[in-house]
Amino acid sequence: MDTSSSSSASAAAPSAVTFYDFLDRMRNPASLDLVRSIKSFIVSFSFNNANPENDGKRVQEFFTTMESAIKDHPLWANATIEAIESAMEGLEKYVMTKLFSRTFASTSEDVKIDQEISEKICLLQTFLRPEHLDIPTFLQNEASWLLAEKELQKINALKAPREKVLCIMNCCRIINNLLLNASISENVELGGADDFLPVLIYIIIKANPPQLHSNIKFIQLYRRQAMLVSEAAYYFTNLVSAKTFILDLNAKSLSMEETEFEKSMQAARLANKVTLIEESTTSNGIKTLGEQGHPERHDVTRIEASAMSNDRKSLEEQRRVGPSQRIYGNNTITSGGYGYPFMEAEASRLTTGDVEKLLSVYKDVVRKYTNLCRAVRHVSVPMTVAPIPHFEGNNSSFKQPATKTSASTDSKRGE
Amino acid sequence: MGCSGSVPARSSGQSGGLNNLENAGSSDAKNLRVKLVLLGDSGVGKSCIVLRFVRGQFDPTSKVTVGASFLSQTIALQDSTTVKFEIWDTAGQERYAALAPLYYRGAAVAVVVYDITSPDSFNKAQYWVKELQKHGSPDIVMALVGNKADLHEKREVPAQDGIEYAEKNGMFFIETSAKTADNINQLFEEIAKRLPRPSPSS
Ligand SMILES: Nc1nc2c(ncn2[C@@H]2O[C@H](COP(=O)(O)OP(=O)(O)O)[C@@H](O)[C@H]2O)c(=O)[nH]1
Ligand SMILES: [Mg+2]
Repeated sequence: MDTSSSSSASAAAPSAVTFYDFLDRMRNPASLDLVRSIKSFIVSFSFNNANPENDGKRVQEFFTTMESAIKDHPLWANATIEAIESAMEGLEKYVMTKLFSRTFASTSEDVKIDQEISEKICLLQTFLRPEHLDIPTFLQNEASWLLAEKELQKINALKAPREKVLCIMNCCRIINNLLLNASISENVELGGADDFLPVLIYIIIKANPPQLHSNIKFIQLYRRQAMLVSEAAYYFTNLVSAKTFILDLNAKSLSMEETEFEKSMQAARLANKVTLIEESTTSNGIKTLGEQGHPERHDVTRIEASAMSNDRKSLEEQRRVGPSQRIYGNNTITSGGYGYPFMEAEASRLTTGDVEKLLSVYKDVVRKYTNLCRAVRHVSVPMTVAPIPHFEGNNSSFKQPATKTSASTDSKRGE
Repeated sequence: MGCSGSVPARSSGQSGGLNNLENAGSSDAKNLRVKLVLLGDSGVGKSCIVLRFVRGQFDPTSKVTVGASFLSQTIALQDSTTVKFEIWDTAGQERYAALAPLYYRGAAVAVVVYDITSPDSFNKAQYWVKELQKHGSPDIVMALVGNKADLHEKREVPAQDGIEYAEKNGMFFIETSAKTADNINQLFEEIAKRLPRPSPSS
């Protein structure tokens, strides 16, 4: 009962069902006073410019006020603590979904840090291996790592702070299971945080979850304070800690020759640049995303800048494919067969001199294919946490009769 | 070997399962919930100490809890209050040392562990104590733990050194063995006694 697993189970309790229950109650005429408070709070946010620290404080205070209001409310008379708790989860989800575009990645500073992390990770992806973080081979499990990466990447597709936290928890749970199973099958003692943190760091680098900094900050500011405790707080802290490590990562941070590190970073930067130049001179595929493009900037920038207004799902896809493409330099930004010079070739005409080129094209194709598969899988995997219902601009959703099924379809996510 | 020895008999304490609100983090005068952070070099026995503490009161076959870097355990005290320890493990490798403040921020308790056979680990423990004094919360309860007390023939840090250092720094000191379970429960019980209690009125 008192184990880490039990507390995480209870953290996951309020589900989509209770969220609709919350909406239902809010449609009850008896809750008109609560609805008014919620709406006027949300409206009051549009009067001022974004100010994360202040906004966070205001939202937290509002949650506290509303909690007392709900506890004292006739609709919740004799309600269990759990019922009030799930109403509060519903409230958090409702309010933060409404305020999302106003509160998430709301300053240029945040956008800049997101970019910085993402770019740093892109560079690291080109050469970092588990050994550089002293991750023992028996913990190197591609299948588990991929699962953990996927969980982490979901974080950016969700809007409710609680659901973002759940992505982190799920990711960490997969890592923990891996550590546990590996220690059993290898019959070695468990290393605790000594094993956990390096694996998490490596998974973050592999996953390069979009807008990592902004997601962390959003949770810090807008997850109800009373809920960011215990196990959730621990794993959240590990994510913060891993992010910090990656941002500060230098030649001394790894088990690697310092000169080798510098060389690898330099090579990665160069490959990056080559691709960027190609991008700006090519006019197809991904390029269209960056119409307003600055050639000296990363395409990540442009994709992230437009992420708020465009269809997030396809951007996700681009985003997944984007970074690794850039890394491998030449011939990457192509569609159709134009970038593949051997399409029309005949075997009898090939020379040994073609082998190198063939091999590099082959590798490019495989990489793209793998990335595409990942992206497609990423998009089509059903969410393990409840998807966020779609709230359209106006505040009428409380009043309308429940449209439970349509509100929860994946395709409606993101505005 | 190591910490996977026999399960010790418990002299006091009982299993947790306070109530179904554990996660909500309720903490009142009778039921404290405290964040405890573990600091110390890799290999001094932090994980073993915690496993020993957590397993000692629970079904040793409940593998789920084993090895996680976050563990919680509730103990009951004589005065019928309970203390739920939420134990945060930290990575001991040098390259992560700078991240420690993220973990000990807001901790009510810091347990700084060294290995009595390793003077280096004792130095590192002193480094952590200094850092906590500088950057930890001012009312943090600190314990200095000399572990692997069973290896007395290999001892290189005299108990007296630990005692004196702890005394000078206003810390609680104890030598433990995660292998034999010696003093493991005492460590946590002593910490529980030293915790500042919220006033009953609140
Ligand atoms: N003899 C002895 N060995 C111990 C004791 N505690 C831990 N160990 C051993 O020391 C090694 C490191 O322990 P661990 O708990 O992983 O250290 P951590 O890195 O601080 O978490 C393991 O091989 C343990 O078996 C102890 O009290 N006595
Ligand atoms: Mg350990």
